[in-house]
Amino acid sequence: MLAYLARRLALAMVTILAAVLISFLLVHATDGSPGAIVLGAGATPAEIAAKNAELGWDRPLVTQFFDYLGHLVRGDLGTSLIDSRSIGQDLATRLPVTGFIALFATLLSGIVGVVLGVTAAVRGGRFGTFITTSSGVALSLPAFWVGILLVYVLSIQLGWLPATGYVPFADSPIDWAKSLALPVLALTVGGAAIVARTANAGMRDALQAEHIRTLRALGTPAWRIRYVHALRSTSVPVISVLGIQFIVLFGGSVIVENLFALPGLGQASQAAVSAHDFPALIGVVIVATVVVVVTNLLLDLVVAALDPKVRTA
Amino acid sequence: MSVLPLDAADDVSTEPVPPTQRRRGLPAALRRPGPVLALGWLLLVVLLSFAAPLWRPYDVNDQDLAHRLAGPSGAHWLGTDPLGRDLLSRIFTAGAQPLLSAALTVAVAFGIGIPLALIAAERGRRIEQIISRTTEILLALPSTIILLAVIGVIGVKTYLVMAVLGVLISAAVYRVMLGVAQSVRQRLYIDAARVNGLGSLRVNVVHVLPAMATVIAVQAAQLFGIAILINAGLAFLGFGPSEPQPSWGTMIQDGSGHVYDAPWLLVPTGVVLALTVVAANVVADALAGRGPRQRSAARRSATSAPVRVVDGTPADPRNVLEVRGLTVSVDGGSALVSDVSFAVQPGRVLGLVGESGCGKTMTARSLLGLLPDGVSVSGGEILWQGRDLVGLSEKQANAVRGREIAMISQEPMVALDPMFSIAYQLIQPIRRFRDVGRGEAEEIAGRLLRQVGIVDADRVLKSYPHQLSGGMAQRVAIALALTGQPELLVADEPTTALDVTVQAEILSLLRALVRDTGLSVVIVSHDLGVVADICDDVVVMYAGQVVESGRTAPVLDDAAHPYTMALLGANPHVPDGEPMPTRLASIPGTVPAPGSWPTGCRFAGRCQFTQDRCTVPFPALPAHEDGSVLCVRVHEIHDAGVSWHAEPVGAETVVGVDHALSTGSTAASLPTQTSGVSS
Repeated sequence: MLAYLARRLALAMVTILAAVLISFLLVHATDGSPGAIVLGAGATPAEIAAKNAELGWDRPLVTQFFDYLGHLVRGDLGTSLIDSRSIGQDLATRLPVTGFIALFATLLSGIVGVVLGVTAAVRGGRFGTFITTSSGVALSLPAFWVGILLVYVLSIQLGWLPATGYVPFADSPIDWAKSLALPVLALTVGGAAIVARTANAGMRDALQAEHIRTLRALGTPAWRIRYVHALRSTSVPVISVLGIQFIVLFGGSVIVENLFALPGLGQASQAAVSAHDFPALIGVVIVATVVVVVTNLLLDLVVAALDPKVRTA
Repeated sequence: MSVLPLDAADDVSTEPVPPTQRRRGLPAALRRPGPVLALGWLLLVVLLSFAAPLWRPYDVNDQDLAHRLAGPSGAHWLGTDPLGRDLLSRIFTAGAQPLLSAALTVAVAFGIGIPLALIAAERGRRIEQIISRTTEILLALPSTIILLAVIGVIGVKTYLVMAVLGVLISAAVYRVMLGVAQSVRQRLYIDAARVNGLGSLRVNVVHVLPAMATVIAVQAAQLFGIAILINAGLAFLGFGPSEPQPSWGTMIQDGSGHVYDAPWLLVPTGVVLALTVVAANVVADALAGRGPRQRSAARRSATSAPVRVVDGTPADPRNVLEVRGLTVSVDGGSALVSDVSFAVQPGRVLGLVGESGCGKTMTARSLLGLLPDGVSVSGGEILWQGRDLVGLSEKQANAVRGREIAMISQEPMVALDPMFSIAYQLIQPIRRFRDVGRGEAEEIAGRLLRQVGIVDADRVLKSYPHQLSGGMAQRVAIALALTGQPELLVADEPTTALDVTVQAEILSLLRALVRDTGLSVVIVSHDLGVVADICDDVVVMYAGQVVESGRTAPVLDDAAHPYTMALLGANPHVPDGEPMPTRLASIPGTVPAPGSWPTGCRFAGRCQFTQDRCTVPFPALPAHEDGSVLCVRVHEIHDAGVSWHAEPVGAETVVGVDHALSTGSTAASLPTQTSGVSS
């Protein structure tokens, strides 16, 4: 178990390092010139070269890389080329927005997906077919399109929720929750469908397992067979998919943040991409990688807690 | 953009279709209405998109300013956008780019993922480790954000960006393909090809790749859908073709701006995009054998149950169990067990013997009402202490299971729930059966484990199933069966999966339990050695019926039915002091499948004593005191004193495994059942 954790931890560190290296090389290996971006279209080549030197971009690549790493371990992600704000601070205020959207969407997907998938597996028949078919459709729908449809129905037609905008938690917890509701729902449609499929397949497999027959031969009540034994073995694939979902939804929030005008990481990355703000780009990649890596580590721990084969290994 | 996880990794069959089974035309998996419609839609979108300049009613930039944001009309079938441009023309003009770039993503992802998987599967562990670790890192990177960073650096170059997406996804493709490639390589014909001296590339191209075809097709269809979604998502964010060039993402972005005044604008583009992705996923699901399917035998309606003929005479009070004329059939199909009768007396052990596919396991399972879905008792009675168990409700049956009749199964390693400790699995039924508290239940659990010969019961209680050996797991399974203090134990091949030395221990344990507790046992076995060892009575089954029964000693010493003789002749147990035979004997031919049983003697096709009259039905005759024999020539064979001539297995059968399977020669120890439903 300890060796397993140590290996996962090492992989996590290497992944983060790889993300830094890849984004760093990406920005530096192409003909990206921060000076040109800072100074805008009117600058002369000489001015640009001087600005690049001022920013330290004329130094050898290796020096720059270790310089960047040195700042990184102290938590310094550099400053924006566009408005010189601290990227670290900016992302720190944005992370909770994206994090909560992804977290709530994952949790809601988990609850809805497990209930639908398990019910479909247990009930079978027409209901089961309906659930498997509709989840197949739901997971194929583009989240941004679903989001707009939800706006049309829930904000415009019914007037239940604000169409766009973000209210900080500190201002009004209720309005904060309302401002997150639509983005979370938009992401949940596809997420719940994927979880429902996994739970359905897992439950059907589990109910066919040999040890289920042992339980039936002992006259174990059906509810216990389904909701204690079969559900427990279904939990491992479902938890894994939920972890993947969190990661996917975290990345997918770029779209909903754009759609719902939310000041999250996704919006920051979209802005950085449009403005070619290189330090901000690297910063977003690193923060997102850390989130993914930490999620994966937590996932490993949860799976280990659930699965005795992993736990006792 | 919602990146779907490649969930196919888990449930695509890793048993790819062997090349010989493939047929021309549409694969069988796709010959259903859903997949056909999906393929039709994909084909239509591709055709309409690429031929758009040839048929579109308007140029993409023709503005009909009088009809801006219009709904569907005769002039504009799908309506117009904010500049009065025709949506139908724009949607399908925009289609070529996402379709092509998604195909590019798929091509790049497979172009990297498949060769890596083939190399890793072929070159052994070290190379595999290096590639796998690297792809693990790639997998853990946030691909959406990296993709955006790439755009931030190189600008909006859609095809290049979609190729980079292919690189990022190739890690996921590799992971799925490696599993498949490894399982394909383990199969025999790949080895045969290698032995025959085919080069590495040829082996991969000729043998491995075709076997992976199904999985590749599933993944490709799924990835294609994902890539289209990502492409549209990027365009939605403004990282796609720029105005006046149409694209699905920007058209939906346009729609979101007019959701208040012209919601229709969202519908056509969104529906075309969604339908295309849905179609790709429907095709993937159909190829993978997932998704909705007609379940033939799932529903069991009361009306379709056949009328069961019941004898009605009360059971003999000396018998704890009396099975009379039991017939088990596939619902609406052929019989698997026909007209089987036997009786078990208290404290005695009865053996059900025969080859695989003779109905032994079905007979045993029907005693507990645990037949597989779609199989049920269609005739006869199972009188348990005078009460008919057939047709009990699930609730009534649950009251019998465990408390009165318990069961242990063939594969001890999978009979216990891997997710729960042994203690939990024992204590839970003990509390239910004996109505005791937790502490007392724990004590009883320890006592039961010691009763089945486990010395360090405390350690075993804390263990999980995967930490136990096969023999230990079978002892735990027996302890589990004893939790309800049953009077009858049904043991389905309890020793088959175990080592020979462990087999003997388990048998002596069962014998001790019978002696000490007065338990009755019905034991299913293909091994006459086991029967001779432990059984008081024996029932020999062949092709779903009883061919011979009686006390064990006379049946085995003086077998009356040719099939019993043949089984004895094929028995590898060598009596003490006799030389080991150089070749093992077999019974030529195979057990006829249910549904193709002959009208007369079902063994006639394989019997050495067959005559014309064997093909007409005849009744069973009494034999071995209270037993029976089902052979029309039994007296002649007995009077003539002839015996079964055991045929040794030919030398070639020992070498060629495939040959042995195809000719079906039954090697001396009859083939063990692995599926559990086979007999």
